[in-house]
Amino acid sequence: MIPLQTPGGPAPSPFSPEQQSRFDADFGRAVAKYAADHRRAALLPVLHLAQDLLGWLTEPAMAYVGFRLDIPKVRVREVASFYTMYRLKPVGRHAIGVCNSVSCWAMGSEQIIKRCEEKLGIRSGETTRDGQFSLEEVACLAACGYAPAVLVNNYRYVENVTPQSLDSLIEELRAKPGNSMAPAPEPKKLEINRGQGEAPRQTEPQTTGPSGATSVQTSGGK
Amino acid sequence: MALAGSPKILSVDWDKPESWTLKTYGGKYPALEKALKMQPQAIVDEVVKANLRGRGGAGFPTGMKWNFVRKETSFPKYLVVNADEGEPGTFKDRAICERSPHMFVEGLIIGCFALDCHLTYIYCRGEFRDGAIKRVQEAIEEARAAGFVGKNILGSGFDLEMHVVAGAGAYICGEETALLESLEGRKGYPRLKPPFPANAGGGLFKQPTAVNNVETLANLPSIVMKGGDWFNSVGLVPKNGGTRLFAVSGHSRKTGVFEAPMGITFRALLDDYCGGMREGSTLKAIIPGGSSSAILTAAEADWASDFDTLKSKKTMAGSGGVVYLDQSVNMAHALANVMRFYAHESCGQCTPCREGTAWLSRLCDKIMQGRGEKTDVDNVHQIARQMEQKTICALADGAAMPAKSYIEKFRADFDALVRQ
Repeated sequence: MIPLQTPGGPAPSPFSPEQQSRFDADFGRAVAKYAADHRRAALLPVLHLAQDLLGWLTEPAMAYVGFRLDIPKVRVREVASFYTMYRLKPVGRHAIGVCNSVSCWAMGSEQIIKRCEEKLGIRSGETTRDGQFSLEEVACLAACGYAPAVLVNNYRYVENVTPQSLDSLIEELRAKPGNSMAPAPEPKKLEINRGQGEAPRQTEPQTTGPSGATSVQTSGGK
Repeated sequence: MALAGSPKILSVDWDKPESWTLKTYGGKYPALEKALKMQPQAIVDEVVKANLRGRGGAGFPTGMKWNFVRKETSFPKYLVVNADEGEPGTFKDRAICERSPHMFVEGLIIGCFALDCHLTYIYCRGEFRDGAIKRVQEAIEEARAAGFVGKNILGSGFDLEMHVVAGAGAYICGEETALLESLEGRKGYPRLKPPFPANAGGGLFKQPTAVNNVETLANLPSIVMKGGDWFNSVGLVPKNGGTRLFAVSGHSRKTGVFEAPMGITFRALLDDYCGGMREGSTLKAIIPGGSSSAILTAAEADWASDFDTLKSKKTMAGSGGVVYLDQSVNMAHALANVMRFYAHESCGQCTPCREGTAWLSRLCDKIMQGRGEKTDVDNVHQIARQMEQKTICALADGAAMPAKSYIEKFRADFDALVRQ
């Protein structure tokens, strides 16, 4: 459980020394866009910085961002959970988002999603066991005239996608290391007490053997 | 093949090599030079004469909005740019930012001068970081080096600082007050109005603020250079000046961004700019202005595309995102897709929207999967009617308009899927 008001006391940095110097430089630039009494307004850009370094927004990262901007941690989390680009759980080192809004849909995006699922062996909203890929449906990317469109790792647009070009994209990504991803915390730490009389929620993959399930649920954001 | 004699205002440089550089743009901001010698109110007067309507979706007269801000006595005042393009079917602001960012930046500086604004923010959707945002940032740096941004611009004594801020993936932040909330570092909950953003207490950091769309501002250099009367005369219908960038997608032969006079018919846009429908396709339906707008049948393709005509026909010109759909599309399936979008993007602040969009999406899925009954179709229509005009922002109305119109105009597609 997250306390409603975390005092704005110091929180330890989640970054390595090298990450820290990059964060500090970019943090200064992000905050400088606002007047001194409005520096808290830089929360979205600063969350982007933290996520770009860690791959996703860990709890310590959100606490640290809150400390640096003097914002209670619960407010940071409220914002981070509102926006779909912020990841509250680790995703694949290559996160593939297939646009499924109306123009892409009319041009065959559902076939593209199906093809991804077959190629990667996961469903939309899941991550492969090796952590290399995750797959999700995303909302309109403003690429409607070049449909269907795919978004890789939040920023890379791939347009006019066909099943064939999708196959090549996946092979290309398979050979690349992709985003580094901060390790997930021990599952127990994130468990929420849902009161008595309720079955515990399944948080682990149902089977863990080498021939078992190939995926874990990692849908982030909303 | 475009309409004979129809001028290009916004896309004039797009086919030139490196169209995004200051060099291609001509190396100068001549409209800014002219504007800095004018009285700010005289610039706004030209915009009023131009009948420039906001290109983000609502079509509000830009000159009127600017006069509201000018009347306020509280300083500082802000101009905030809405570059959070997210309406399904719309991708024209991205094209401006990527292909002619200097036209937009010049227009923005002129707008700030007209409003006595010295600090402006461009709120751009986060996914554009490596594309549109990069181009705009490079354009700003070029403009700064040339003395168009910063202190004492071109020796006029006018100072202006501008910053690009990236959003993080929320359709609702295209709503102007949600955008302001997001720009202030909060989740994108639209604000209750009044006070409106233009008024003290309602804008960015509670200061008077004009929120303008990228395309709206990109028209400013032409209005300043050639005058409001000229701009107004380019539009084909009264009170709708200039051209519009139509973002065309779907089953037309050509898709992409096409510049055509305000008020062109959807038939002319399809036939004269997009080469008609693709091979083997027959036009079945048209989304006229983003997925929030009420749908048109093929027979309604002769309607003019301006704000007032479409409003009188109970739909809207919206964001200029035009989707031509062919006979392969079942409109009940299409509505299920559109409703899923609104259910996902409702911010959850107002109950009729939070519950209504989810309910519509569930019912449409049920109908699409063949599990529906006739009453489900009637219920979709009725729920949509009850969501209208009951919420803080227009997202619920944007979900209700397609829901009602798809059923009213394509009832047969729904009836074929449900048990009678």
